[in-house]
Amino acid sequence: MTNLRKPGFVLGLIIIALAIVASLAPQLLATHDPFESVATDRLLPPSAQYLFGTDNLGRDLYSRVIYGAALSLLSASLAVVVGVVVGAVVGLISGFVGGRTDFIIMRFVDVLIAVPGVLLALIVVASLGFGPVSLALGVGLGAAGSFARVMRSQVLRIRSEEYVEAARTLGVRSPAILVQHVLPNAARPVIAMAALELGTAILSVSALTFLGFGAPPPAPEWGALVSAGRDYVATNPGLSIIPGAVILVVVLAVNRVARSIGGDE
Amino acid sequence: MTQVKAWAGYLLPKLGQFLFVVVATYTLVFVLVHFLPGDPLIAALAAKGGASTVIDPAELDALRVQYGLDGSLWQQYFGHLIAAAQGDLGVSISTGVPVTEMIARAFPFSVQIASLALLFGVTSAVLITFLAYAAPWPWLRQLLLQIPPFGIAVPAFLSGLLLISVFAFSLGWLPSAGARSFDAAILPAITLALPVGALFFQVFSSAVLEAQNSPYVFTAVAKGVPPRRIFTKHLLRNAMLPSITILGLLIGYLAGGTAVVETVFSRDGIGRMTVNAVLARDINVIQGVVLLVGAIYALVNLLVDVAYGFIDPRTRIGGGIPSRARLGAKK
Repeated sequence: MTNLRKPGFVLGLIIIALAIVASLAPQLLATHDPFESVATDRLLPPSAQYLFGTDNLGRDLYSRVIYGAALSLLSASLAVVVGVVVGAVVGLISGFVGGRTDFIIMRFVDVLIAVPGVLLALIVVASLGFGPVSLALGVGLGAAGSFARVMRSQVLRIRSEEYVEAARTLGVRSPAILVQHVLPNAARPVIAMAALELGTAILSVSALTFLGFGAPPPAPEWGALVSAGRDYVATNPGLSIIPGAVILVVVLAVNRVARSIGGDE
Repeated sequence: MTQVKAWAGYLLPKLGQFLFVVVATYTLVFVLVHFLPGDPLIAALAAKGGASTVIDPAELDALRVQYGLDGSLWQQYFGHLIAAAQGDLGVSISTGVPVTEMIARAFPFSVQIASLALLFGVTSAVLITFLAYAAPWPWLRQLLLQIPPFGIAVPAFLSGLLLISVFAFSLGWLPSAGARSFDAAILPAITLALPVGALFFQVFSSAVLEAQNSPYVFTAVAKGVPPRRIFTKHLLRNAMLPSITILGLLIGYLAGGTAVVETVFSRDGIGRMTVNAVLARDINVIQGVVLLVGAIYALVNLLVDVAYGFIDPRTRIGGGIPSRARLGAKK
């Protein structure tokens, strides 16, 4: 692992590890109850007691950011899973079957790519209702088109490889070839792309929760925290800028590690 | 006559593609809105009047007719499509105003910041690439090349709020909200330019740096051509083609990106209108906006295809586009 000697990569891993701990066991990192308001401690600046300061209801911002990780990161991860699974299945079928089916499927993929991702997510959210799961479905659907394209191009490449031809000559059935030979060989670029997509998904999900389409308050979702702090940007800019900066740091870490996994150095 | 034929032969299939994308976009939205669970009109009315809204069935039927949501799905699908082709996008459920009117009012505000953002973004991307190309020290070059990937990771609401708190509240140079004056467009445009410029930079800089390693640049350097001239004469020209392609894609990105930026800066525009429509679950407005964005995206890509033929002679021969040279020779 030569990657482990690079400081940027190691720092990225540490940040991701912290984010995972915050998502799975927030009580380990939090210092306060994220929902408890202390009436006398409203809108305080960062201090030793309140690491990121307190919000307009006297809640500890640091603990709210920690507790918000679960909602933000899980719906972003779910979005990537939806995008990869839908995209990979469509691309796999399209590339493997070929011919007219391939042509028709790819024209629909073109349209999926033509509609901007945020807009597509907004349509899904408007139809399914607000909340982390419909956000994830919307963002995932927006990413599915590109995954389908990459998967298809991989399948087309692998389909003409000698080992596939050999398997076919030996009489192996198409579904078996698809699962045993094509899928494992096509997976690598798709996984590398999925890792990069996670950073984009975190940004999209937090943008949509910033706009108010996530879990209802008082859920401490990251984008919603930024949005809630917006009213105090003139007097307490940290209230929205600190959660925003946390999103930035996590996205930078994810992108840095993803680039190393993809071998794009 | 032959030129007209050649143009028609090139443009007609592209025009067909344009129409296909628009109709398919409409279909996609229609399918998503009507096949996902829940009645769109009841959801919209509940968003308007609170969750406990009770509507009597006769009134609901009258409202369905008013908003064009009556009849079978096929009737609705073709009815809306034909109406849209005639320039009628229906009536907004939440405001009662025709959707085309709402779009016409909001569109100029979005175009203003989107075009400024493109200008800022592309200019700074070209500038950073040139500085990186001309940088005398490798560390400076590395540093400059690190800026754009950073730009992609910055959430638009973070950069927007930072700009507001510095330039509007601390320094008081520019307004923090509104869309009345030109000043008010500067901060939103910079916010939007950050990701746009970063995405453009990725494609542009890799095309330039690739061309930098080519034999013709090596020859030019050996001949003693100054770096600035090599940059404009050789590198810029060869980076044109991929740059134009990414510009076509960025228009789609801008259409989505305005939603956050216009909300941060409390600015009228298509993006904010869409957000409000989704909050009100106003499907007529959503459908209209998506149709508009799909049409713009398809139109820009049509223009990109035409531009390709003029920039790269090879596509002209291969694609059968009438060349300027040939057109000129016939005169």
